[in-house]
Amino acid sequence: MGEAQKGLLSVIEKLKGSTEQEVRIVLLGLDNAGKTTLLKTLASEDVNTITPTQGFNIKSVASHGMKLNVWDIGGQRKIRPFWKKYLENTDLLIYVIDSADKKRFEETGLELSELIDEENLKGVPVLIFANKQDLATASPASEIAEGLNLHTYRDREWQIQACSAVSGEGVQDGMNWICNNIVNRKK
Amino acid sequence: MAEDDSEWIIESIVGYLGSPEWVIPVTDFMENKCTVFDDEDENKLSYTDIHQQYKKLVEKLLENYMQEVGINEQQFLDACTSPFAKSKSLQAVFQPVLATDDFQMFRSLMVQKNTELQLQALRVIKEQNGALPECLTDGVDVMTELQQQEMKILEDVLKKSKEEYDEEMSRRLLIEKQMGSTSSSSSDKPNKGDEARSAALTSSKQSNTSKPTLGSSVQPNLLPAVRAPTKSSESSDANRHQAEEQSSSTEAAAEAYLEEAHREAGFSKPYTELSPSQQEQLQQRAAYLRQQRDKLHALKREKQKSRQAAEPEEPSHTPPLEPATNLEISAEEKKKLQKRKHLADKLKEEVVKK
Ligand SMILES: Nc1nc2c(ncn2[C@@H]2O[C@H](COP(=O)(O)OP(=O)(O)OP(=O)(O)O)[C@@H](O)[C@H]2O)c(=O)[nH]1
Ligand SMILES: [Mg+2]
Repeated sequence: MGEAQKGLLSVIEKLKGSTEQEVRIVLLGLDNAGKTTLLKTLASEDVNTITPTQGFNIKSVASHGMKLNVWDIGGQRKIRPFWKKYLENTDLLIYVIDSADKKRFEETGLELSELIDEENLKGVPVLIFANKQDLATASPASEIAEGLNLHTYRDREWQIQACSAVSGEGVQDGMNWICNNIVNRKK
Repeated sequence: MAEDDSEWIIESIVGYLGSPEWVIPVTDFMENKCTVFDDEDENKLSYTDIHQQYKKLVEKLLENYMQEVGINEQQFLDACTSPFAKSKSLQAVFQPVLATDDFQMFRSLMVQKNTELQLQALRVIKEQNGALPECLTDGVDVMTELQQQEMKILEDVLKKSKEEYDEEMSRRLLIEKQMGSTSSSSSDKPNKGDEARSAALTSSKQSNTSKPTLGSSVQPNLLPAVRAPTKSSESSDANRHQAEEQSSSTEAAAEAYLEEAHREAGFSKPYTELSPSQQEQLQQRAAYLRQQRDKLHALKREKQKSRQAAEPEEPSHTPPLEPATNLEISAEEKKKLQKRKHLADKLKEEVVKK
């Protein structure tokens, strides 16, 4: 988009006049992984009325003196081609996995590795939530990390965090990692 | 850069944001695209494309503007970051610019615009009938469902009268062009009346494609973008620009709504799938609406005339569609209308609050 875009955006940034640091976070993962549930948990909203996402949701969450703008995009197969429209200027990727859905570990791994290769996500830190740990059939985070070959990611910061979006357990730990990481990165 | 420079540049930018060169294309865009924006919590994927298009439009406009005025990006930036630019009143003026980078703000502007147009549609119906037609008030108890149905019917009606409208537009365009330029009156298309309309029927496509240029071609030298700096009246100046922006957008809104509703109606249930009685109702309503539209155009033209005659004194606070009388409305109908209006107001309020 050329020069004007850069100028325009920086103008706009300054016009906002906020001293608060804004962080753009994109929340991705297969359908039914628990992205919207996680988003609502982060925003301290009710998680009992969530339906599969056809479009996308945005919530702004204040954390560690920063404003986190979290974008949750639907994960159904037909929506995944649209993911890449939301990656520009992303500061951090949160990837959510249903730890109890072993049948789809391979599918979710493929989607993640495609995201990692996206130009717009180059070097962008990634937090993986191994969600639904409250279910008895959930695989432990370490096993999932191994299955995803996370240890081969050398071009970025990454972290895997076991959690339950429903109970909220582990979610805050993940957010702490994010905030520490962003602060390090942006300073 | 000297502070004085910043000041006149900011003045100029604000002037530009209130000028037809900016207001017309931006308002046009919003009115044409706002109909898919509802106030559901979840966003539709299509919003993103529309937001991208909006970004491009604003970028192009600002680029043109900077070139025209002869300032570079650095100057633009310096001016925009000067303390003057950060005053409360100016922040509001800059909202449509900020919306390029702020999806949530963009979304709320679009939802707000959509609500405005819905209200206008209600007013059109109300004015033409003295009250809302039966089919819009009877039979359905749930308000939201009622509103939806009403919008759908209205859209169908408007779709039905698309030809007439296009024809009207192209006729107007033709007349305006003839008046604006010195072109010899190649009037194979006559002056007024019904013959002229049917004569122009074939040119509906032309009217669609030439509409976006309406602003620049019809109003080539209104409001120069660069204005002399006036140190003492900063905020009142800004307010004036806002008022100007509002009034011109209100006027354009009524018209563009009609146009857009046709386009949108293309996606809704086709006219032919309606029951015969519904079709008949729609046809009746189409006739009403046509009358309404003619009245509207007459009103608008008059307004433009008086505006040109007395531009500074008339910031035109009165919306062009304000019903002249509502004497024939029964108490019950009135109550229904109020209920509906209240709902729309609430919706609007929520949107504005966001
Ligand atoms: N047991 C359990 N269920 C969860 C958890 N998180 C989400 N769920 C359930 O998983 C289902 C899907 O959750 P969503 O948040 O809608 O999933 P999503 O990733 O947003 O799905 P899409 O919108 O289709 O992409 C819902 O029934 C949730 O209640 C969790 O931590 N534990
Ligand atoms: Mg979802």
